[in-house]
Amino acid sequence: MPLDKKPGVRGRTPSPDAAFDLWLQRGLHAMFDDVAKEPIPPELLALIDRDRKR
Amino acid sequence: MPPLDVATLPDADVSAVQSQECFHDMLVGCLPRLRQQAMALTRRRADADDLVQAAVTNALAAQASFIPGTNFKAWMARILRNRFLSDVRRRRETVEMDDAPQEAFSRPASQEASIAMDELRVNLARLPADQRIALMMSAVQGLSYDEMSAELGVAVGTLKCRVFRARKQLQAWLLGEAPVDAPAKAAKIDAGLGARAHVKVNRAATRGLHA
Repeated sequence: MPLDKKPGVRGRTPSPDAAFDLWLQRGLHAMFDDVAKEPIPPELLALIDRDRKR
Repeated sequence: MPPLDVATLPDADVSAVQSQECFHDMLVGCLPRLRQQAMALTRRRADADDLVQAAVTNALAAQASFIPGTNFKAWMARILRNRFLSDVRRRRETVEMDDAPQEAFSRPASQEASIAMDELRVNLARLPADQRIALMMSAVQGLSYDEMSAELGVAVGTLKCRVFRARKQLQAWLLGEAPVDAPAKAAKIDAGLGARAHVKVNRAATRGLHA
């Protein structure tokens, strides 16, 4: 879901707020997407697996 | 203990075993998003990993209390957040919170994309934790306010306010605009470390002005 974007008007230059929102959204994705893509620590998976086999 | 042979169990027990298997699969499946949320709350990778591990341990211990068919992601998100809040409360009594925001979200220097991204990392760490996670869940995980409300157990209006304030505050810090007026009450409610660090910075600055 996008940040609080103001409805843009076709053909007009984006407002500074909209430009900042876009930059912020990209920056946050760059920062947090890696975290989600990283492999899950094996000890965490092992913890779940041990409980599963219990 | 030998594995259960589901074929030999009565229907009710088969259902229980299947839902238990499903529970573990759901848990593994939601780990990536939990790690993002933990990162947004704690600001440090090592702390985020510890938080996720603690939340998973709590969830495994409490799995009997999860009602199959209800929102598992929300259930896990609440466990994670509650664990974070109890950790913060415990640490407040013993640990100085004056941690350096520069270290937040730290990565090897070679991975730094730009000075602007560094600035974003530093300033994101200054936000209260509850604003940070609301902003991340909205902008990165793409959740609606209703979904966020279910996961965090916080009213939609409050979440809208937190996302708005977070964005405006970052804009003010990063673009050098007038700072957002953050009432003391909001800083109290936002149980994040960032708020405390920021208050400390402000107090230090005030002392400097009067020196």
